[in-house]
Amino acid sequence: MSRVDRGCRVRILAAIGAAALVLAGCGSGGGGSLADGDLPDQVKVVSVTDQTGTTAYVGSSQLKGIDLAIDEINSQDYLGDTEFVLEKRDSASDTQTAVSQATEALTDRNVSALLGPVLSAHAVAIAPLVERAKLPTVFTQSGSEGVVIGDYTYRATAPMETYFVKALERLRDQGARTVSVLYNAGNVTLAGLGEHTIPEGQDEYGYKVLSNTAVQASTQDFSTTATRIAGENPDAVIVLLVGAGNSTAMSQLRQAGYTGPVVGNPAAGAGNLAPAGAAGAGMYWATDFSFHQTAPSSEAFVESYRAKYNGENPLNYAAEGYDATWMLAHAVKNSGGSSREDIQRGLAQVVSEGFDGALGPVTFEGNDMRVEGVLVEWTGSEEVLVEESDVAE
Amino acid sequence: MSDFYFSNIVLIQSTFTVLLLALSIQIQFRMGVFSFAGAAFYGMGSYGVAILVLHYDFGAFSALATIVVICAVIGYLLSLVVQRLNGLYLAMATVAFVMIVTVVAHNGGALTGGSVGLFGVLTPVEISVPHLLAVCAVVVAAMIASERGAMGRRIEAVREDPELASAMGINVARYRKMSFVLSGVLGALGGGLNILMMTAIAPENIGFPLIVLALTIIIVGGSRSWIGVLIGALIFTWLPVVLEQVGTYQSIVYGVIVAIAAIFMPGGITGIVTDLYRRRSARSNADALESEQRLEARAAEEDAAEAAELQAELASSTTPSGGSR
Amino acid sequence: MSQLVIDALVLGSIYLLFCLGMSISWGTIDILNFAHGGIFMFSAFVASQIVSHVELGLVAICVISAVVGAVVSAAIDVLAFQPILRRAKNQRTAELQILIGGIGIGTIPVAIVQFYTLSEPFGFLRSTYETTVHSFGGMRLSSTGLVVLGCALVLTVSIAYWLKNTSHGLALRAIGVDPETAELMGVKRRQLSLLTMGISGGLAGLAGALLTFNLGAITAESGETLLIKAFAIIILGGVGSTGGAALGAMILAFSEVLVLRYTGGGWVDAVGFGLILVVLLLRPQGIFGKKEVRRV
Repeated sequence: MSRVDRGCRVRILAAIGAAALVLAGCGSGGGGSLADGDLPDQVKVVSVTDQTGTTAYVGSSQLKGIDLAIDEINSQDYLGDTEFVLEKRDSASDTQTAVSQATEALTDRNVSALLGPVLSAHAVAIAPLVERAKLPTVFTQSGSEGVVIGDYTYRATAPMETYFVKALERLRDQGARTVSVLYNAGNVTLAGLGEHTIPEGQDEYGYKVLSNTAVQASTQDFSTTATRIAGENPDAVIVLLVGAGNSTAMSQLRQAGYTGPVVGNPAAGAGNLAPAGAAGAGMYWATDFSFHQTAPSSEAFVESYRAKYNGENPLNYAAEGYDATWMLAHAVKNSGGSSREDIQRGLAQVVSEGFDGALGPVTFEGNDMRVEGVLVEWTGSEEVLVEESDVAE
Repeated sequence: MSDFYFSNIVLIQSTFTVLLLALSIQIQFRMGVFSFAGAAFYGMGSYGVAILVLHYDFGAFSALATIVVICAVIGYLLSLVVQRLNGLYLAMATVAFVMIVTVVAHNGGALTGGSVGLFGVLTPVEISVPHLLAVCAVVVAAMIASERGAMGRRIEAVREDPELASAMGINVARYRKMSFVLSGVLGALGGGLNILMMTAIAPENIGFPLIVLALTIIIVGGSRSWIGVLIGALIFTWLPVVLEQVGTYQSIVYGVIVAIAAIFMPGGITGIVTDLYRRRSARSNADALESEQRLEARAAEEDAAEAAELQAELASSTTPSGGSR
Repeated sequence: MSQLVIDALVLGSIYLLFCLGMSISWGTIDILNFAHGGIFMFSAFVASQIVSHVELGLVAICVISAVVGAVVSAAIDVLAFQPILRRAKNQRTAELQILIGGIGIGTIPVAIVQFYTLSEPFGFLRSTYETTVHSFGGMRLSSTGLVVLGCALVLTVSIAYWLKNTSHGLALRAIGVDPETAELMGVKRRQLSLLTMGISGGLAGLAGALLTFNLGAITAESGETLLIKAFAIIILGGVGSTGGAALGAMILAFSEVLVLRYTGGGWVDAVGFGLILVVLLLRPQGIFGKKEVRRV
């Protein structure tokens, strides 16, 4: 054998040896469970949400919360040398795009977890896929059934009916005996409130529903219903609409002659009542988060958020996104690993223990979040706190 | 390669279900019937299969077959109802039909899932791309058969000149009714396969956006042949993925592309290709014609010269010098 | 009960203001402009952007919105519809392409506004106009409602008069009946087409401003829902008839108000669609339309 041949053989053996080492190293990536303390340098998380399209303001607020959380997790070295890396996909308010992006995430073995979309329609399509592929997914908003369906699906937003009762309690405390209801039947959460929660609460909270008007998501004008409601002269009115509908309905209610209190929903926040001017004053609603709330973990969140985003105040969507991301960080820390199974185990521990997050002290029922909630009121120019419960739910 | 396949499987599936949707509308356009009923059948296909699977425990194939038959029948009935309408009025009537299907989907209560729609449509047999490709292969074969030969010419006659066609003995009314039935079958297939793969359907997935999608596919791809529709379906399923790189301007870019296609490409992409092909073959024909004409002209010149010579000869041989030879 | 009548009248007036522009262009120069909803909303958006820097009153805002609408609409005509008409092989393909072109173009203003507002509502927050409510005989009418009613009435009557009694109007109607002959008779089709689209856009802009005042705020998607209702109204009233559009708008508004009052709100949209189907099946030319003679 010539010297050249032996040289070749040595090089080939070295190459094979190196390849073997590399393969062994790869094997410890996204595959099976890791031993404690065996975290990789990066944990890849994908976010699929609406940065454009009709729900852009929800998705972009959620992303601000997520970004803030990732910044904090990495800068605080919460996971030691390991960093969270976020890949953002824009589902553009389209279900199929959301499903396609979620599918890409779950087929990529380097992705450890998914931060899910905000729309129920997207979430119910994605949930069975991530459950089957065993990709831990934390959804926010997405209030309908069919979202939290197994061990790998979680929701970091309490369903509205769990804290809506605070508004009903206030109704009772105000002595409202008769209420008229106007709600958007095209939104599953609001429809659930209008069709079930409110009628079912009549006995418990001492009111009687005089009329229950369902409008479509595309309805922009409420003058007919406003006239009818004003004519009924109820003690209180419940208006469950999204976006611009809130200010239009308030203006038209006042113009129709109704001057009493109005109960709303969190979609009336984010300045949506401003166009109504003085007519919007007096609407109050129960929400899962207000930047005024006084829980220490919430105040810390609000302060960090203002620091990062030029003094802007966070919406509840940002708080939810923030907590969802921190849930993943806690999960990694709990389980000591970043594989999909590790994160699922870690999340199971998180939901059994609860934690203090941007949303305040949170607990879970199954994999579904519960919060105390808070009542806020619109004064005509700003949102103020009505009360906070000091007893955890 | 298989990584690409699995990670983009939703887009691959969508390309073919959208192809079926667009074909369900294009088949009517090809017969001169300006109808968008295919979008309604797609919606009925999706919801119908979902309802049968979720509420009545149907299997995938039986649900699909049942809904296809139902939509074919509805298509036939619809054709009877609108038989006196034409052009833009027929289009408007079918648009209204599509919208009514959407409203029913919204208001169907527990049956249609209201505004959330229906989800969790999982069948024991998992329908995926192989099934979809098989169905599309059959459909495309049928389209090819309908574009060639006598059938193709008859369809074109019905579209371009219905009076002449019926004067020649073609039953135009029957072709119209057939187009609705075919639209029902194709739309139902597309919608049914779509829900079996996506497992969820909501009212906002059906209705007017489907009409817009199908129209842009047909316009950009070309309305004469299934090839144009396939090209359009490929473009408009994958374009959003490409545009996502553009970021938040993607919807503006999308609108501009559609507008430009509508203004400058009336025949669609296949139209442009066919035009180029025709122009090239026309030019080579013209060249051939020209050289032929030149040859003929030369030959004619030669003939004329010969004839002149002959005449001259004749004239000289018959000069009046009398005398016989 | 009589309050319902007032509410329906105001609602109908809004529909009518939105429709007038479409009715004119569809009825005369045969352009079914799907971008109308986008123009309507975009004009109001531009006005709202200006108002956020400069305090303005009702009239100024309406004028700005109308001008924006007219300019945008004329631009669309020059850049899109005229080229399509020039290249089209026959009437039917032209109609189809204008339809598609309109749809495509219509998504552009919506996308632009969505980009700037993130689909949040916008209005005229700093306008100097304040709504007051007038009560009489137990009924209430807001000042905005009064303005809407007034504008609809004045504009409808003026346009009907213009179409019927002026030479421009006559020329337009001639184009609607037979474009080639009209051109042979000296009607300058291209110029009149531009004028018509400009007026149509101006009406859309005005409607956009008034609707925003009436509702307090609108979103990027607000124009789209009105588009389908506009079809229903024009088909019901008859293509090309201004009086038909007015009647159609009122019929639609009253039906919707009654359906909303006495049944669940979920079927309100179905009223419009149902009307389209019923009218097309029973009397395709609408109430005041002429029976269309489609040349082969």
